[in-house]
Amino acid sequence: MSGDTVSDVVVGLLVAVLGLAGLFLTAGALDDEIYIFGLGLMAFAVLFDLGLIKAHFDRRERAKGAAP
Amino acid sequence: MSAAVAAGVPIEYNEAVIKKFVIATMFWGVVAFLVGIAIAAELCWPTISFGLSFLNFGRLRPVHTSAAIFAFGGNALFATSFYVVQRTCRARLFGGEALANFLFWGYNFFIVMAALSYVLGYSRGQEYSEPEWHLELFLVLVWVLYAVAFIGTVLMREEPHIYVANWFYMAFILTIAVLVLGNAAALPVSFFGAKSYSAYSGVQNAMIQWWYGHNAVGFFLTAAFLGMMYYFIPKQANRPVYSYRLSVVHFWSLIFMYMWAGPHHLHWTSLPDWTQTLGMAFSIMLWMPSWGGMINGLMTLSGAWDKLRTDPALRFSVTAVGFYGIATFEGPVMSIRDVNALSHYTDWGIGHVHSGALGWVAFISFGAIYYMVPALWKRAGLYSSKLTAWHYWIATLGIVLYITSMWVAGIMQGLMWRAYDQYGFLQYSFVESVVAVHPYYIIRLMGGVLFLLGALIMVFNLVMTVRSPSTQRQDAAVPSGAVLVGA
Repeated sequence: MSGDTVSDVVVGLLVAVLGLAGLFLTAGALDDEIYIFGLGLMAFAVLFDLGLIKAHFDRRERAKGAAP
Repeated sequence: MSAAVAAGVPIEYNEAVIKKFVIATMFWGVVAFLVGIAIAAELCWPTISFGLSFLNFGRLRPVHTSAAIFAFGGNALFATSFYVVQRTCRARLFGGEALANFLFWGYNFFIVMAALSYVLGYSRGQEYSEPEWHLELFLVLVWVLYAVAFIGTVLMREEPHIYVANWFYMAFILTIAVLVLGNAAALPVSFFGAKSYSAYSGVQNAMIQWWYGHNAVGFFLTAAFLGMMYYFIPKQANRPVYSYRLSVVHFWSLIFMYMWAGPHHLHWTSLPDWTQTLGMAFSIMLWMPSWGGMINGLMTLSGAWDKLRTDPALRFSVTAVGFYGIATFEGPVMSIRDVNALSHYTDWGIGHVHSGALGWVAFISFGAIYYMVPALWKRAGLYSSKLTAWHYWIATLGIVLYITSMWVAGIMQGLMWRAYDQYGFLQYSFVESVVAVHPYYIIRLMGGVLFLLGALIMVFNLVMTVRSPSTQRQDAAVPSGAVLVGA
């Protein structure tokens, strides 16, 4: 695995855990602030991890294109 | 030295993340200045908040301070620290693209969430440390990963020496982590509720708060921006640092002394006298290391002063160092207990803070960004030097209006509050002092408008620098983000 792929996996998993934590916070929220923060964290995690997946495949396609 | 570097293989710096931080810096700068103008107008005409809770001064003020310090200043520091550390270490940013992107999006997510929480009315009520516990926890996570990326890059360096700018950035990153962890220690009422109670109470809470608060000034707004100064002024002036030895001496003395200066925010309170005296003494001693930095920054221009006439971007950086000198002289003076008896709680403090925030922090950042944008986007130069010069003069005039009006208003307030008549009664009611400063509040507002106008000119200039065909480079041999080792 290349350095960038290792980074993708480690950061991707960390962000996924944050997203889950956001869902739990939203589910049990006692006030608007935690509700909004939890939803925001979940949305952040989903968008960020989708971005990571896109960047991974973009890199792979670039590498394929560069191969002789 | 790695085999790749020895073989002359180009190092591909991670410039994509720096570009994002530069764009965010300018975006948040405009937001911070705009909200500043809104609350300055509210102080002139309080009814313009239309009775809307989310527009009142108490909620918008932390939006302004956080946007200026943490959003504008913070993004500028991320951008410049990543720019500087990769180049001075000749190493790609540690942690890969994913970590760098997490730092950008995570930090800006924190800023948006914090601003939203202030306008919704959630706050710890502690200056510059308003976010509630859940936001502080998220910030700590981002900050620890920032330390991993920065220190990791330093450890992976291909240069034997660690350039002094990196020492300033590292002191900033490590100390801010310690300060936030120390000051934000709190017990939430529930893990599903935003409200929390500080781990400290009474005067101890005040002491910890200002240990944090003044070191936020010392390490976020001073040490880190000195790191910026130590890289960009020599680059812009094309001169070596005046005295490398002085830079190292003033670095260690500055970071040692700043730690003790916090109690000067609590003069004439229930904080023990000896603690106040300690804070005052260290604040006065701080004058020397602070001016060590100023002298080093200014003297770096020895033999290159003529460049100030032709390079307005360098003019920003050098004027910033001048304002740094003014603010770090004024600060120790205001920390003297008897001066503080007059200045504290007045607008003199606001004038002092803004000579530092606008004159030092914003100007040194503008200088660095004007330098970085053509380099990052591979352009031949800035779109318009004339526009940069206009920005410089408009912003400088704005600062002068701002700080002089606040000085006059502050000293007048202090004198009015302490004036007694022949019978020993207070000569003025509080509202009379409010009426007396009204004209100066309007002058301050005009100063803020000019500063914003300058920033908008800068945004236009930078956008045109990136997009205009007139700034295109003739030589495009080196690919974007690649720098030949030894070149």
